[in-house]
Amino acid sequence: MAFNWQIVEEYTPLFIEGAKTTVQCTIICVILGTLWGLTLGIGRTASTKYGLWKWVLYYGVQWPVKIYVSAFRGTPLFVQIMVVHYVLMPFFLNPRDGLLVSDNLISVATARYWRSEYGAFISCVTAITLNAGAYISEIFRAGIESIDKGQMEAARSLGMSYGSTMRKVILPQAFKRMLPPLGNNAIAILKDSSLGAAIGLADLAFAARTSGAAYGSYSEPYIVISIVYWVMTFSLSLLVKYLEKRLGKSDSH
Amino acid sequence: MIHIKNLQKQFGTIHVLRGISCDIQEKEVISIIGPSGSGKSTFLRCINGLEDITSGEIEVNGFKLPDAKTNINQLRESVGMVFQRFNLFPHMTVLQNLILAPMDVKKMPKNEAITKAEGLLVKVGLIDKIDAYPNQLSGGQQQRVAIARALMMDPKVMLFDEPTSALDPELVGEVLAVMKSLAQEGMTMVVVTHEMGFAREMSTRVIFIDQGIIQEQGSPEQIFTRPQNERTQLFLSKVL
Repeated sequence: MAFNWQIVEEYTPLFIEGAKTTVQCTIICVILGTLWGLTLGIGRTASTKYGLWKWVLYYGVQWPVKIYVSAFRGTPLFVQIMVVHYVLMPFFLNPRDGLLVSDNLISVATARYWRSEYGAFISCVTAITLNAGAYISEIFRAGIESIDKGQMEAARSLGMSYGSTMRKVILPQAFKRMLPPLGNNAIAILKDSSLGAAIGLADLAFAARTSGAAYGSYSEPYIVISIVYWVMTFSLSLLVKYLEKRLGKSDSH
Repeated sequence: MIHIKNLQKQFGTIHVLRGISCDIQEKEVISIIGPSGSGKSTFLRCINGLEDITSGEIEVNGFKLPDAKTNINQLRESVGMVFQRFNLFPHMTVLQNLILAPMDVKKMPKNEAITKAEGLLVKVGLIDKIDAYPNQLSGGQQQRVAIARALMMDPKVMLFDEPTSALDPELVGEVLAVMKSLAQEGMTMVVVTHEMGFAREMSTRVIFIDQGIIQEQGSPEQIFTRPQNERTQLFLSKVL
């Protein structure tokens, strides 16, 4: 078959804008997803030996996190994006009766502007963050639990608080072990962001769909974005490898 | 300085400590001996709250356990602990291992902490390893760093949980030497140990624990040469 590369050429600015959006969406999702995943992961491992708090943490924190993780891992991301965009977003950001508007947190005009300009982007970032958080929390949990419990005991025996011990002793060690799976997760986020095109997020996949539709020929744009996605994920994997090497230094002797 | 009254500890259905009472005075060096699984380590770990106690009372330097008003972190500041497995922080150098807690807990300025760390490393004979990572050190060196790390907090009492049990035989001596010099300086020490030589030579009192209770205690001379309790006699006949 003959390829008509003119399609891609004519729409180059759209592809470039799309690539920017994909990268932006990925970076934001990786950062937010990691923070959210860390929060969930700590919630998932939070426990204490003492009376009342033991039950509060178990039923009030551990269980809800478990259910959350199960729900987000047990439903397709595509569906989650739809639910966020068509259920959650109108609930908060509807110019007429969204919660943020009716509580006077933002004005009607702002709500309308945000929705039309950034609606798809906000929905997509929200859904992917919520989804990635579920997966990342499991990575954190496994990472934290893989650290010998003598480390916690040693730091606590020196009088350090639980929080300090986590930040200065446990997490730096756990993070090193979590880096490879976190890297894989970032790559997954980059690829999954293409689902945003379904709700009108003007990313790479959207550029392919739009230009393809204009010419009635989809093969060229999709071949092009396949290559672009691959280059992006490959660069990301190189970056992760580099970080692993640098962080691994201190205990590779 | 440490008062323990009828301390009991259960893990599920296993009754590890069945009522231990004892008082430990300042500058005492106490060796706790007994067969494995007798509850020695559990007893030690109860003293700084690493294990929560099932019943009984503990008072350490005026801090009571169990007591909702006790700040467990403050209690632990004054109680140093040395573990069988060293438990140095592998992602930090020797110096960083030493200055972490004083800076974090006591808000000690960094240069002051470094000076103090250098002094202690000289004392344990490892000043040349100040920038090494733990996995570059032998077991004996790691344990000496762990002792220095505990001393950084100026503890009033030091707990040793089988400090030489994970060491190759030829490395035991260097750790015991550090402990001896500590004892000679008047540090209050509670040592769970299988080193009968140390117990005999250095301790002011020997406590024999078996089946979760103190079977016998007394001066080293008393315990090692004239044990009264049958179990003590049996145990000593096996290890001496």
